[in-house]
Amino acid sequence: MLSLVIALFSGAVGGLVVAMIPETKNRLRNYIVLLFAASSAFFTWHTALKVFAGERVRVAGELGGLAFSIDPDPLGAVFGLIASTLWLFTAVYSFGYMAGKHKQRTFFTFFLMSLTMTLGVAFSGNLVALYLFYELLTFATYPLVIHERSAEAMKAGTKYILYSLSGAGAILIAIIFTYAWSGKLDFSSGPMLANSLGPGLNWLLMLFIGGFGVKAAIMPLHRWLPAAMAAPTPVSALLHAVAVVYSGVYGILRTVYSVFGHELIGQLEIRYILPWTAAITIVAGIVIAARQDVLKRRLAYQTVSHLSYILLGAFTLNAWGLAGAIFHMISYSTLKITLFFCAGIISEQTGVIKVSKIGGIGRLLPKTMAAFSIATMGMIGMLPLNTFWGKYYLMKGSVEAGKWPLAVVLIISGILNAICFVPAIVNAFNRVSTKTCEEKGSRVSLMLAPTLALVMIALFIGLMPGIIWPGVEAVVNWFY
Amino acid sequence: MILAILPVIPLIGVLFLLFKRGRFINIPLITSAVVLVFGVCGLQSVFEGIPLNYTVPLPGPVAPNFHADSLSAIFVLAAGFIWSVVSIYVPEYMEQEGRTKVFELCSLLTLSAVLGVFLAGDLFTLLLFFELMTVSSFFWVIHRGNKEAIRAGYFYLFYSIVGGLFLALGIVFMGTATDIMPIIGSGPVNPLNSKAFTWSIVLLIIGFGIKAGMVPLHLWLPHAHSVAPAPGSALLSGLLIKVGAYGLIRVGEFAGWGTYLQGGVSWLGSGLAVLGTCTMLVGVLAALVQSDAKRLLAYHSISQIGYIILGLGIGLYLGPDGGLGLIGSIYHIVNHTLFKAALFLGVGIIYIGTNETNLYKLGGLWRRFPLTALFMLIAVLGITGAPGLNGYASKTLLHHAVSHAAENGPQWIIWSERLFLLVGVGTATSFIKLYYLIFLGKPAKVKVNENKSFGMNLAMGLLAAVMIVIGFKPEIFASIAAAPAAQVLGMKNAAATLESLSFWNPSDVLSMIITLAIGGLTCWLGFRSGAFHWHIPAWLTLEGIGKLTGMSILFIWRRGAEWYGSIVATAGRASGNLRARLFKYFRRFDKSRSGNIGKINLTGISADAALLITVLMFLIVWYAFIVK
Repeated sequence: MLSLVIALFSGAVGGLVVAMIPETKNRLRNYIVLLFAASSAFFTWHTALKVFAGERVRVAGELGGLAFSIDPDPLGAVFGLIASTLWLFTAVYSFGYMAGKHKQRTFFTFFLMSLTMTLGVAFSGNLVALYLFYELLTFATYPLVIHERSAEAMKAGTKYILYSLSGAGAILIAIIFTYAWSGKLDFSSGPMLANSLGPGLNWLLMLFIGGFGVKAAIMPLHRWLPAAMAAPTPVSALLHAVAVVYSGVYGILRTVYSVFGHELIGQLEIRYILPWTAAITIVAGIVIAARQDVLKRRLAYQTVSHLSYILLGAFTLNAWGLAGAIFHMISYSTLKITLFFCAGIISEQTGVIKVSKIGGIGRLLPKTMAAFSIATMGMIGMLPLNTFWGKYYLMKGSVEAGKWPLAVVLIISGILNAICFVPAIVNAFNRVSTKTCEEKGSRVSLMLAPTLALVMIALFIGLMPGIIWPGVEAVVNWFY
Repeated sequence: MILAILPVIPLIGVLFLLFKRGRFINIPLITSAVVLVFGVCGLQSVFEGIPLNYTVPLPGPVAPNFHADSLSAIFVLAAGFIWSVVSIYVPEYMEQEGRTKVFELCSLLTLSAVLGVFLAGDLFTLLLFFELMTVSSFFWVIHRGNKEAIRAGYFYLFYSIVGGLFLALGIVFMGTATDIMPIIGSGPVNPLNSKAFTWSIVLLIIGFGIKAGMVPLHLWLPHAHSVAPAPGSALLSGLLIKVGAYGLIRVGEFAGWGTYLQGGVSWLGSGLAVLGTCTMLVGVLAALVQSDAKRLLAYHSISQIGYIILGLGIGLYLGPDGGLGLIGSIYHIVNHTLFKAALFLGVGIIYIGTNETNLYKLGGLWRRFPLTALFMLIAVLGITGAPGLNGYASKTLLHHAVSHAAENGPQWIIWSERLFLLVGVGTATSFIKLYYLIFLGKPAKVKVNENKSFGMNLAMGLLAAVMIVIGFKPEIFASIAAAPAAQVLGMKNAAATLESLSFWNPSDVLSMIITLAIGGLTCWLGFRSGAFHWHIPAWLTLEGIGKLTGMSILFIWRRGAEWYGSIVATAGRASGNLRARLFKYFRRFDKSRSGNIGKINLTGISADAALLITVLMFLIVWYAFIVK
């Protein structure tokens, strides 16, 4: 219980501490950031392992009613683990990336604060806490989006906040209806709306999914995500490929499994539409990605596409689909962060931000591009990488649910992913670039080390999927 | 344990190669020789009929699993042998092409992957090594780095990726069809869900068919195999497409060798036979009009894979009597590995000597390359099926299988048999053309570089020697390797069928000689009439059709994008107007003057009041009328 509190509030406390350190003391600040991020990660692991073992770790609130409650279940624990562990890697990367840049104090303050908000979303035990942290996450990450203060960044920030707040508004209305109809808000006591069946449920579900779908970037609610790429790369990597967007995905998983329950949704008419919304986003996202020239924007659209993989797994409404969703959630996050890290290194070292200019980069930055290529293989769904298993279980879920066209959609998406990135990689290794630069110096190694470590982790999980299987199993057993 | 070690040996070789200082140690050769020795010693019990199994102890739902039976052993030893031979050839050849180390690294990685595929005990392990093989062999294709090579590389990579994804989907369906994922080598699957099982078989065939170069999935093959450096082509054509064939044999195992196929997969035998016939026909017809030696050989790889697939199809179609088809296919796989590798290596020697692979610019080279000419002659005779060489043995077996099926089968199998003979004639024609144009004929005007080619000729000589041994004693390989493999797979009376057959049947020998003679005649006619220079019109080739389809899809896509763009623009304008109006409208609320109720002044909050009232109205309506 104490470990849960430390895990949750390390970020917020750390943020306050960092805010008090003068702008010039970079080294001290970095150590403090590392300390708080590490303590958060450590205690999250501690809590999560307890949760997987079946122990109940509650912090606040009475059961039922409007009280605020922190009560992680396996799904929350998995999300918390992903967020806090990757935060650590991104923190190290940011030390390298932000070195010599302005306003590091602001950056790291909000960087750490949003860790608490994300973990709060993950560990929330009822819809009140979820909503609260969900809103706070928007506000904590807004300063990171507008960090550059350029016109583009300010515009992106406005877009981000408008989209997110409208989504949150929809969620608030939906929560009120849920409370009115069922009188329950807690996740722990099974699906809230399980015993109610009425014509309004379809609309309520749409309201929930529309609200969370903003952060989960379901098309057509995705426009803020590519715009938010104006933020510094670590923010794009962690928040806009993993933490923030996953909080939306997590909200939808919660809606499906804790608010409605898969059995109830299985009786609603909307079940025919849901998987296809995800499928359309999967294909359209990656097709649009192939037409982007700016590398980060291309990656952003790929994120849009891959987030819907997870939603697809949830919407197939069977245990294999959920297993695939959780697996993909874990494995996709490691690789997507890698891709963004590589994009960051490339732009910092050579100034190249466009895919069309990437020729020859592979010879200048061999390790970076090697990591990029391996991560791309994962995005396609090739085997030594962990994303294969996520994709495999997603396809299995679709086929078992009798919806084999969804499995074909996943295959097509894999091919489109290859079309999107493989030519760029071949160019990067084959052409000769006129630029000169090297992968040397402490700054580059700070950026390169987490990148390569994440690729190694991805390969390791891919070869031994049994390592993360207990977590996946715990989540699936919790809901089925 | 030995099963898990075998794929690791080349990886150790990779480490040695990375830290190698001296130039004269041929690490790939040592590694592949070690693989060969370990394979022969370690798989001893397999040849005695006891399959080996090894599961890597890992937690979780899936653990890598290895399995070896006679079939895997044949493939493993073939891989070890062919890799050793090619490694002898590589250093001298790659001196000209450059970047030897990259080639050798990829070569060792591919060896590891190939061994892994052959020794895999479940479909996941197989897929793992299959994908590794795709990636590592991709570097062979793009080795030259020019535009053509990159284009071929894309072809190769995309087809292979699609193949891998189809395999994955096939595995998914297989998992749905059965409660436990079937293990390789465990015989026919008893599906719970026969529809899913059928789909699984279809998807697996597509996946492996892409790798094997089965028509109509073969488009990548001629490009990829002709642009790679010669040793790369030899391995690609000699062994890597056999990985696809190996996969097809295993798919046949899931359906059930030696049983009459029932239910959802009853079409499998005839389907494969038809595909095989198409494959060999398309391959040979396209090969006849090629002018580039390597492309000609690449198209013949397609054609010979057609023989193999036809044999597999006939084997499945005939059920318990189909032993000859399966044995013939396995036999032909090994034979094709030998002669196709030798042919590519020979063309490679010519390329190094003259910097030319266009047949019409070569000629009369037997004086300059006497040894190469001799070995090439053996390989050419081998692939055309001349009696006394290895191709004869397997083609005879396949022909017996096909004619057995044709005797009491439906009309299409009779056509299959006729086409089989026709393809034999076509093969003879194009190889006589190849040999004549390179080594005989008018001496060419090309410049011939003098360089040492001892190792290169040695490699070819080894292959030729094995070919001659198999050719003179064809029954040895069939009875000690191919027949036991077929029996392990489920063909109970394969050995008995084989024993009742004589390889040196006069009618078989005669028909082969007649085939060769007709081939020679056709070749002469072809030269006289200029038919070899005929260019196939674009709309007739699959590639042309693909291009046309692609262009029309692109056209439709562009049109669609234009429409979409205009719709979005219109919607944007409309919403902009709407927004401006709404804004104006709400502003009016804010500036309303007469907002006094008694002494209370409502100015400025009327907008909020209106919003509140709207929401309340909505809620009232909702609760009163909609929610019951």
